[in-house]
Amino acid sequence: MANDADQGAAVALPGKTRAGQGTRLATLALLAAALVGLWQAWGLERWAIDGPGAGLWPMIVASVCVALAVIVLIWPGPAGTTEEGDTDTIDTRELVRTRSTFNLYCLALIVLAVGAAYGGFVLTSLTVSILLVRFAEGRSWGAALLYGVGAALIGLVCFAWLLRVDLPTGPIERAFLALVR
Amino acid sequence: MDALLNGFSIVLSGENLMYCFIGAFLGTVVGILPGLGPLTTIAILLPITFKMDVTSAIIMLSGIYYGVAYGGTVTSVLMRIPGEASSVVTCLDGYEMARKGRAGPALFIAAVGSFVAGTLGVIAITFLSPPLAKMVLAFGPSEYAMMMLAGLSMVTYMSGGSLPRALLMAAFGLLLGTIGLDPMNMTPRLTFDILTLSDGVNLVPLAIGLFGLSEVLFMARRDESELTILAPPKGMAAFLPTAEEARRSVGPVGRGTVLGFLVGLLPGGGAVIASFLSYAVERKLSRNPEEFGKGAVEGLAGPEAANNAGTTGAFVPLLCMGIPANAITALLLGAFMIHGVAPGPQILERAPEVFWGVVASMYIGNIMLLVLNLPLIGMFVKILDIPRVYLTPMILLVCLIGVYSNSGNPADVVVAVVFGFVGYYLRRHGFDLGIVILAYVLGPIFERSVRQALSISDGDPMIFLHSKLSIGFALAAAVILIAGLWPKRAAVAKA
Repeated sequence: MANDADQGAAVALPGKTRAGQGTRLATLALLAAALVGLWQAWGLERWAIDGPGAGLWPMIVASVCVALAVIVLIWPGPAGTTEEGDTDTIDTRELVRTRSTFNLYCLALIVLAVGAAYGGFVLTSLTVSILLVRFAEGRSWGAALLYGVGAALIGLVCFAWLLRVDLPTGPIERAFLALVR
Repeated sequence: MDALLNGFSIVLSGENLMYCFIGAFLGTVVGILPGLGPLTTIAILLPITFKMDVTSAIIMLSGIYYGVAYGGTVTSVLMRIPGEASSVVTCLDGYEMARKGRAGPALFIAAVGSFVAGTLGVIAITFLSPPLAKMVLAFGPSEYAMMMLAGLSMVTYMSGGSLPRALLMAAFGLLLGTIGLDPMNMTPRLTFDILTLSDGVNLVPLAIGLFGLSEVLFMARRDESELTILAPPKGMAAFLPTAEEARRSVGPVGRGTVLGFLVGLLPGGGAVIASFLSYAVERKLSRNPEEFGKGAVEGLAGPEAANNAGTTGAFVPLLCMGIPANAITALLLGAFMIHGVAPGPQILERAPEVFWGVVASMYIGNIMLLVLNLPLIGMFVKILDIPRVYLTPMILLVCLIGVYSNSGNPADVVVAVVFGFVGYYLRRHGFDLGIVILAYVLGPIFERSVRQALSISDGDPMIFLHSKLSIGFALAAAVILIAGLWPKRAAVAKA
């Protein structure tokens, strides 16, 4: 992995600089999370009448987290990723080409979260399928709709009805389950 | 030996054999399908077992427990979705093997490795249960705390990148584990007065977000040509490992079995620690550590064996001391109690037919799992032929079902999505996410041990160095951390 990163540096220095900045930003975000944790833990009881209080452990952990984040900010060291293709050595031109696809995938993830709360499984399946199959990957409307309806049906019939698995519930799911149960 | 043979005669009766098969089959299916964890399945089936014979009931429920470990491998290898925390390590090299057209051999090695580890684990239970039960009793809170520290240090040391980064990930995982109600006095911690956060961050959305959803984002960022999975060879060769792969798997399976069984004996997340430790050990021992994370056979075979041996090892404290090692064995303990059998040191005298029947059923169950899983490999591998356009929505919807059904709470889906983005960003910048999961799982046990030890000593931290065992673990942690900061390590990591 380190070799890949070095090669990436030789080919495209701006990419490496961006990756370095990204590492710092990621570490800063972790530092911020740890500081928030420390602030929350500070208000908790550290020692109670019967022993350590609720705040002792979070305070120790958050303090260690803050200290380590500062150390990593100063000395990031080599990437510790365990999988091929993880680190950001991707070509900038390629990144631009795939950016719109990537943005649509991000949107699909957000739809997943919102749909689970408000839309129900069927609507979420359809929306995610149309977003990804039609818009992100450029297939036909027919393929996207067929895929979405198929996925929704499998979820509804196999999981919700036959296996009695809890699925996000909206009006469609409620109507279907009222019919079959 | 007579007792074990008696156990076999109990299991080989038609009825018990059928329940053993049902358990193993259900376990495999539950491991593959999203939304149905072993805990839910055992909980659902528990009332059904009320009218069954106690041995048959425990045989079936145990079959589900160890069958899930087999099934979880399939989604980890093919889709990078870990079914449970102990499958996280399988995602690392198993998924990369699949991308290189070696999905069949990866699943074959995992199935055979799991079978070997599971069977050897059962043999160990058969002969070593009483002395091992005594050994586990030597662990008090301070020993546990120091062992957790040493285990985390070992895994961060072996992570392959800079030690501070790995330690930061471990601390981040521990911090995530503190969110929610304090386990001892129910005080809300780090919840920002948000009611949903009172339950804390659940493992399922965390693992699925960090691994499954982040992978979808990685797939989206890559050009479709980059995602092309090398075509596997035709015929039986597609599913069988090469002689080289088989040779390279033998050592990791052996080491993973021993490590997994011993760590699995310890209450609390044994199989998870075992799989991570096995990965770390194999990486350290390998002549080609740079292959890890890129489809190294050792990185799959060792943790898979450790995972299964750990699952088997967890039965020792359950059967011999009545101490559940995790939530699932706690439910199995409940099943024993419902049927009027109290697991513990007396079980061999009071209900030998139950003890030896369950032990014998594990031998049979492991063979059944192998026979069930090997012929299905060809069918599972077909998933990889699905192009990205159809595979990614499927992964997203599987993740949605898996996360939502776990708690029935839409907030968990939001948590998974948030961790999907967090995981993507951290992975992209070289942070090791496996350590986050390990630390998150160990966090509550680590905290409980530290607090119990401090309560016993009235706040004196020297309790962590009061016994030879805890001093040994503390020394091991210190040596590992100092070795991690040694300049030579940076050179090794670069190599």
